[in-house]
Amino acid sequence: MLSELYGYAGRILRVDLSKRSVKIEELDRKLIRGFLGGRGFNVKRLYDEVPKGVDPLSPENKLLFATGPIAGTGFPIGTRLNVTAKSPQTGLLGDSNVGGHFAAEMKYCGFDQIILEGKSDRPVYVYVHDGSVEFMDAQGLWGLTISEAYDAIRKELRDWRVQIALIGPAAENYVKFAGIFFNLHRPAARTGLGAVMASKNVKALVVRGDGYVEVAEPDEFEEFVREVEEAVYSHEQYWPRRVMGTSRILMAANRLGFLPADHFTKSVVDYAYQVSGERLAVEYNVKNRSCFSCILPCSRFYVIKRGKFAGLYGEGPEYEPLAGFTVRIGNRDLDAALKAISMVNDLGMDAITTSEVISWAMELYERGLLDEGETGGLKLKWGDMDTVFELIDMIAYRRGFGDLLADGVAKAAKKLGKGAEIALHVKGLELIQADPRGLKGYGLGFAVASRGADHLRSEPFIELSDDPRIGQLLFGEAEATMRLGVRGKGKLVAYYENWCAVVDSLEVCKNIAENMEILPFDKMAKLIEIVVGMKTCASDMMRIGERIVNIERAYIVRQGVRRRDDVLPRRFLKEPIAEGPSMGHVIELEVMLDEYYKERGWDPQTGIPTAEKLHELGLHEVVEDLRRNGVELRPALD
Amino acid sequence: MESLYSQQGVRSTGGLYAPMAKRLIAVDPSKCSGCRYCELWCSFAHEGVFSLSLSRISVVKDDRMGMDYPVVCRMCSPAPCIKACPHNALVQTEEGIIRVIEERCTGCGRCVKACPFGAVKMHPAKAKPLICDLCGGGEPVCVLKCPTGALRFYPVGEVGVSGSERAFDKAYTYALSQYKALLRRWGINVK
Repeated sequence: MLSELYGYAGRILRVDLSKRSVKIEELDRKLIRGFLGGRGFNVKRLYDEVPKGVDPLSPENKLLFATGPIAGTGFPIGTRLNVTAKSPQTGLLGDSNVGGHFAAEMKYCGFDQIILEGKSDRPVYVYVHDGSVEFMDAQGLWGLTISEAYDAIRKELRDWRVQIALIGPAAENYVKFAGIFFNLHRPAARTGLGAVMASKNVKALVVRGDGYVEVAEPDEFEEFVREVEEAVYSHEQYWPRRVMGTSRILMAANRLGFLPADHFTKSVVDYAYQVSGERLAVEYNVKNRSCFSCILPCSRFYVIKRGKFAGLYGEGPEYEPLAGFTVRIGNRDLDAALKAISMVNDLGMDAITTSEVISWAMELYERGLLDEGETGGLKLKWGDMDTVFELIDMIAYRRGFGDLLADGVAKAAKKLGKGAEIALHVKGLELIQADPRGLKGYGLGFAVASRGADHLRSEPFIELSDDPRIGQLLFGEAEATMRLGVRGKGKLVAYYENWCAVVDSLEVCKNIAENMEILPFDKMAKLIEIVVGMKTCASDMMRIGERIVNIERAYIVRQGVRRRDDVLPRRFLKEPIAEGPSMGHVIELEVMLDEYYKERGWDPQTGIPTAEKLHELGLHEVVEDLRRNGVELRPALD
Repeated sequence: MESLYSQQGVRSTGGLYAPMAKRLIAVDPSKCSGCRYCELWCSFAHEGVFSLSLSRISVVKDDRMGMDYPVVCRMCSPAPCIKACPHNALVQTEEGIIRVIEERCTGCGRCVKACPFGAVKMHPAKAKPLICDLCGGGEPVCVLKCPTGALRFYPVGEVGVSGSERAFDKAYTYALSQYKALLRRWGINVK
């Protein structure tokens, strides 16, 4: 153990790339009490150290990597890492959470958080091993794809245990939705963090440590782990998840009618099995892979066994890229989708945003609003995969029509001067592969999420149960846990946002902790007591979640976000779903928003947290800071 | 599955074995998901803390090829590590377990170099070799904790030695050479 706090490493590494200097800082106990770890640590630091007005691609932006108290222990539900910076894609909060093995290895180096600041004068990669940091020359690596750079770095360091966070050519070309990839298949993809890393001239961050993590109560920990193991192994979702991971959602989404087919113009398709996780499991997958210390290996290693792409292999795909490169762009060919996904990964881009910009352009083309003169001769027909392959490459290298799409769909529509009404994004971040008209709690979540249209901030999975009794019991509204219901969704989303914030700060797997309901608030509190040796309780945990959500809100409020920005694209508000089980539905956003702000203690007119709420959460300095920045805070709700 | 075990220099007796027959940790890399749960709980059982550098089993990984290959002592006899030790600090018990006599060990690392599987590693602080001791009876912790059944405690007739003798990153070289057979079966050709 490296400090008197168990679980934590107790130190923070600050790397100044301009001066090529490093500083090691102590982890503040107050920070642990207030923000727990990972996402909480990062957003607090971003709020304090990256003020309003900083250009996301300038040296003043900071790229933060943090993990939580559980990373590195043998707790059986995975280990995750949070990456945060000001986003070049949205200009707001850039934040992405990633699995794999990096977080634990970083903890074994002795760090809970790594801060990259400034800008290197030439390409480097930062090699952290145990307590020391080396700036390695990366001029030869610049331009390499993710897999090439991964091989090259491992070969250079002659060590198979190193964990690598790296960027691809897309990030180097400042594609606004380029991600940071952790050992090839685990991207922190959303909000364009790869471009931030590229702007600092850093090709990769490499960690390797011989340290260890000690828990406060080893015997109780062993016992608790046994309980959790039993709960996971006996869970009804264990085998479906192990066999298919999240790719199982595609068939379910087709059954319930919330697929994003043909750029959200259809919510059901007749070829779902052809492109499903079920088919992958039967015909493609050869073995399972997992994140660090996870007993539910839900990632799958696939091989294409016959056909044009025979011999192509890789990990995944999860539901988002799978649906993105099949139904969203009208593609029925699973092999071609796998090829496209592996291209997007190897070039280092966010698959969700890439699928949105392509499907957006396809819809414009199919409706005759975009002609071949504007696309540089590309015929963007639904499901034309050869064009898609070409377009992916054009986006990553910013060639021709790809250059327009490389800034994300919001800016592309602006530059093109048309298509803004069908550009599916919230606050500049593109929508995931679920139609909010068929999943209204998720829809509200997209509208209010602190990083833009995103399900991982709230993930109110319970509404898929369609069980009114749960809603009645938990939120006093039967509709709250029914996917097509409206009332009670504000409470539902606020509750799940708090839960997700704590899970993201503990840095464990959200699928297991939250969706499978293995770690409710009381269990998380118990886990903290056992691992860290710090007295806490379930309501403390809820407050931590609420505090994180509020400081994130304060961060984007400081950038100018108000209620008018908590919207969904027109398609979901005005155009009813045409067919399938969700037929006739639009999303009644305003009603849900009112309820949500009330539940949050935010001003319903502006969407700004009230001073009372921020003080109640101990965020006194945030109140002062917002006022200094000219934000008018309402003292309290009546 | 038998072919896999024999690839690792281990011959199965096909279930016919005397009660006192040698048992060792058998590995099925096609099932290993690379979660490293075995490493973590091995480290916890032996050292009381969680660390990848303190475990006696190592999961060698290569994400590009999807390789997760647990490497652990194969209890060879005669054992190259014992032969290599200049201070007689390593002895083999009747069950085949290699024991380290710490008072005699100088931390020279010749056992690490000698092991053809890369299954011996050094304690990073104490500079003494970490070698699997089968947890002193019963099912070893790694086998108990493995979520996928990739590790099993297996009776064997006899253990031979095979594999390359390269000094650099032997565990990786060994694991990769074995894993390639599996890749070929899945239809993947790697150079």
